[in-house]
Amino acid sequence: MKNQFLVLTLIFCSGIFFASLVVFSLYLAYILAVIFLILSLVFYKKDKPFNFLLVSLMFFLGAISLYNSRIFPSGHISNVIRYPARQPYVFKGVINTQPQFKINQSYFIFRIDTLQKNGKSYACRGDILVYLKSREPFYYGEELILRGDLKKPFINTSQGFQNYLYNRGIFFILRVKNDLDVLRLNKFRGSLLRKSAFYLKERIERIILKYTSNLTAGILRAMILGEKSGIPWFVNDAMMKSGTVHILVVSGFNVGIVVLVIELFLKLIRIPRNIRFILAVPILIFYCLITGISTPVLRATIMAITFILASLIKRENDSYNSLSLAALLILGFNPNQLFDIGFQLSFVSVLAIVAVYPRVKALVFKKEVKIRCLRWLMEGALVSFAAWIGTMGLIAKYFRIFSPITVLANIIIVPLSCLITLGGFSLIIMELIAPFFVRPFAHSLEFIVSALVYINLLLVKIPGASLSF
Amino acid sequence: MIAFTQQEKKVILFLLTMILAGAGINLLVKLNSPAKKVILLTQDIGKVNLNTANQKLLVQVPGIGDKLAQRIVEYRLKNGAFQDTQALKKIKGITAYRYEKIKDLFLVD
Repeated sequence: MKNQFLVLTLIFCSGIFFASLVVFSLYLAYILAVIFLILSLVFYKKDKPFNFLLVSLMFFLGAISLYNSRIFPSGHISNVIRYPARQPYVFKGVINTQPQFKINQSYFIFRIDTLQKNGKSYACRGDILVYLKSREPFYYGEELILRGDLKKPFINTSQGFQNYLYNRGIFFILRVKNDLDVLRLNKFRGSLLRKSAFYLKERIERIILKYTSNLTAGILRAMILGEKSGIPWFVNDAMMKSGTVHILVVSGFNVGIVVLVIELFLKLIRIPRNIRFILAVPILIFYCLITGISTPVLRATIMAITFILASLIKRENDSYNSLSLAALLILGFNPNQLFDIGFQLSFVSVLAIVAVYPRVKALVFKKEVKIRCLRWLMEGALVSFAAWIGTMGLIAKYFRIFSPITVLANIIIVPLSCLITLGGFSLIIMELIAPFFVRPFAHSLEFIVSALVYINLLLVKIPGASLSF
Repeated sequence: MIAFTQQEKKVILFLLTMILAGAGINLLVKLNSPAKKVILLTQDIGKVNLNTANQKLLVQVPGIGDKLAQRIVEYRLKNGAFQDTQALKKIKGITAYRYEKIKDLFLVD
């Protein structure tokens, strides 16, 4: 069987899920895991006992990962502060993400190292979400001292947002009222690699904003850089209803384009195949950093790197195994991601495409379709159908939407989004090598984006296109 | 359902052993991490550390201009770290009156 890695991954996920539901002693889980490991070593030459022991070990390993991720050292902020007091708190730390700016307010994740309370200072670790009312620009890696009101995200925020923060190990929100409560220490303590990635991201954003309207810029920034803050709410709402909102997320297609561009460029300058593949890996990792290391991009990057490595060592690439590896790596780092909507949708949609699409294609394409455009259209529809089947349950559960129009909408919208993504990347490259062509190119891009938004708005107006419950 | 070769089994067992051992060590480190330490916060909101602030930071203190900030930095370079804020009185331009105004804006570690 080729997909044994997938089976082990599913068992690992079951262990995480079990641990989230059942209060189980971590020590007992660890002892059982050690026992199963020892027995696996003893019986490794016998297939059936080994398989049973391996499956049991993976199950408990999943459970241990989750329990372990929910235990924090005594110096962690969640242990230092159980219930925030009403007085202001003072924290020293470093900005750990690229600050976002919205309506006179910046927000970012702040990695703390010192807490001051009641005139005493404590070594304290952890991440908090900071909302800072200031017009000053702040930067990734900047060391600050902040004073503000600390609250748990359970108050004044929705359950979905609370879970989103909790899954990322963020238990508190700090609201800083003004510049007087901020002390900039003029020190950079971040990673130079991430700083370079954010710098490049800003340069690309400036290029996009220079040549396109707000609507087009918002959509391009989402599709190329994973920055969704510029998308108007009515566009996001319509795409959610038509089941095409996935095009606004940086995912496998974008990673594929990056690989293609690298491949073409390096081929042009006569770089040998193996070296092209090796060079593609750090560029893909850098692109992953630019887009904020979101789960879909991380998944796609790991799968792309697996494919590249498989090609280099002349092994057959298996989609199930590379998908499983991506899941194990992401969950190994943060098992709470299993409960994240983005993780679930990303993996379930790819799994559905890999599992369902070939079967449906075999059923539909009983005779070969000779007209290439028609075959391409039908294959596109089947891919959308497979993804829709896989994610229907999750979308109904989380968004309470059922969209019968999804398959038709995807047949029209996905090719347009492919053109827009390709156009966006081309716009950036063109600005560097042939800036005199950028403006007319940008006008074409504007037209395609407008067509996409307009068609999407029309589709959701069809009676029965989307049902909310 | 699952069929690994002997070599694959060895690799998997090696990886799982390392992961399990790592998880155990990580847990032990977390559970036995040192208790909260009381340390000095070398900067504070509204207070500037005399021994680490550069000229750019010193200028942000109300009552300290470019020249005075430069003199403070030069004094520190020449005489070593400040032992307390009283040493500011030795700097040209900081009179007793000015010192009373700015002393609460500085800290010394």
